[in-house]
Amino acid sequence: MLRVLNFAHGTFYMLGAYTTYQFVQWVGGGPGLFWLAALGGALAVAALGGLVERLLFRHLYGKEELYQLLFTYALVLILSDAAKMLWGTQQKSVSRPPELSGAFTLFGATIPSYNLLIILLGPAIALGFWLTLQRTRVGRFIRAAALDRETLGALGVDVDALYTWIFMLASFLGGLGGALISPMRAITPGMDTEIIVEAFVVVVIGGLGSFWGTFFGALIYGQVLSFGILFFPRFSIFAVFALMAAVLMVRPWGLLGRPLQ
Amino acid sequence: MHRRIVLVALLAAVLLVPLGASAQKPIKVGMPMPLSGPAALFGEPASKGAQMFIDELNARGGVLGRKLELIVRDSKADANEAVRQARELILKDNVDFLVGTLTSAEGPAVSVVAKENKIVFIAPIPKTDQLTAPDKLHPYVFRVASTTTIEGRSAAEIVAKWPVTKVATISFDYAYGQDVTKAFVDHLKKIKPSVEIVDQQWPKLGEQDYNPFINAQMAKKPEAVMSSIWGGFFVTFSKQARALGYFDAIKYNFIGLGEAGSPETTKSMRDDYPVGIWGNSYDAFYWGESAAHRDYTTRLSKYLRDEYPSSWAVQGYIGMQVLTEAIKKANSTDSDKVAKALLGLTVETPVGPLTIREKDHQANRGQLYGKTVMDPKYPFAIMKPVTYVDPTKFMD
Repeated sequence: MLRVLNFAHGTFYMLGAYTTYQFVQWVGGGPGLFWLAALGGALAVAALGGLVERLLFRHLYGKEELYQLLFTYALVLILSDAAKMLWGTQQKSVSRPPELSGAFTLFGATIPSYNLLIILLGPAIALGFWLTLQRTRVGRFIRAAALDRETLGALGVDVDALYTWIFMLASFLGGLGGALISPMRAITPGMDTEIIVEAFVVVVIGGLGSFWGTFFGALIYGQVLSFGILFFPRFSIFAVFALMAAVLMVRPWGLLGRPLQ
Repeated sequence: MHRRIVLVALLAAVLLVPLGASAQKPIKVGMPMPLSGPAALFGEPASKGAQMFIDELNARGGVLGRKLELIVRDSKADANEAVRQARELILKDNVDFLVGTLTSAEGPAVSVVAKENKIVFIAPIPKTDQLTAPDKLHPYVFRVASTTTIEGRSAAEIVAKWPVTKVATISFDYAYGQDVTKAFVDHLKKIKPSVEIVDQQWPKLGEQDYNPFINAQMAKKPEAVMSSIWGGFFVTFSKQARALGYFDAIKYNFIGLGEAGSPETTKSMRDDYPVGIWGNSYDAFYWGESAAHRDYTTRLSKYLRDEYPSSWAVQGYIGMQVLTEAIKKANSTDSDKVAKALLGLTVETPVGPLTIREKDHQANRGQLYGKTVMDPKYPFAIMKPVTYVDPTKFMD
């Protein structure tokens, strides 16, 4: 939305998973403690995001987007190597929280409770975020900053601090994504680049900079992939990228995005 | 007179120094190996195993009176990068031999470089049959890893003994996954014709969400499943599968190839591991079959400072061991002579004697198989009883 392109978002996702693993190691896996670890992991990533914005990213505003891209790519390389030094190359694993380790049956299909929580959390976070943007004072500032940074500053808003907070919030969400996925997968080096490719497809389908576009892009991506696997198991990936290509041809700015002026 | 003697002595000394140095020059071995990204999980311990062998050998005085030097380069699990690193190792570092590569894409690619440069190349990990297939084979490529044929058929031998007929498979959709699955299915149908393959799932390499594949497979109601989802991907897969009740549905009649039974995997998953399935592994510190293996494990444990040392180190170790024995037998570091010495060579490795077949330059490297159980001695599952499946009888 702020026309800030952050390639390192996948890395924040990976770090969220690693920091959650680390917190679980410290506090143990007892009831309720997973959530504490996940929150701690996401907060640690948010703090890192704040540092990165304050010390480094700040100098790139107003410059060409190519610089941002290169900078965040460098960040991807540095942070993933740092993660490897801290946690090694061996895969790590976090257990599902004991209170949600069960499953229930719906129309003959088994759904693990934890997956249901994730399914519900996604739209809840999206809705909460949207309401914040639309209905609160901070949300108005953010939207104003996206439209015209200078004027907002001239009106007496501390734009610098605002950008730091936004960047921290984005890092927090990235870290939270990694924290919440950790009980469902292995935590390995390389999970950062895996997710960023998928996220990129989602954003392109939905429309760069469009809030609900990204949300629906993700839903469409998941559905096309799942039904692709069901009907044409060997072409499921092809279906997703074909969809992306089709969207790019018909609406290069994405389904819900707006064309650049 | 005195001055003359001194001069001659000095001259002799000057002339001798470079000669002496060249006799002391180490034999250089280049190792392109993934040290970053997900494949570093295996590449790193394999390179450490190779280094341990070299350190021990050099402490004993080396081979042919020369020391061995290992130069490891990160191949990033990418065929192009592996080729680039292999070329650089040959041209810039002047390595005498290549031992390395991990994925089934890197191995055949580096094999071409070895052929061009007439340098012996020993592949310790890639399993694809294509590496030593008749049209790709050349005098300088050798493999001490297992192959997709060996692995698929070993698994078929085990599954054939289970009281099941409806079998399904799940493998990544690329060379290794396809080849090992084909070898498994063909051999199983041959030795147990009553078997019916009810479903085959092909997630892409590196898939993160297996839920749709698992649901689709469960809908076909298989009685047993063969998987070749390897390494960290198996952790992701089995966590999601377990949550969906997949292993209960097939009553744990599941065999996980691609080293799903390795101590690294069970250790990282602990209580989340689907205990009761079958798995395989290149090595296991708890195997302890022979005195040689127990001794190797003790040394490795000390070298890596790890109570439960990696099962992948042995592949790097064996690669270097086989090369050293061939150098010894050839009494030379000339690649043509060493390549000849490798044919039919038998080496006593920590996992037992391995022989390089003359026919296809392939070692009879089998793997460990077993049903996973919790053992009170360890905080994670182990394969018990664990058996080394010798592939000699079903290698073509």
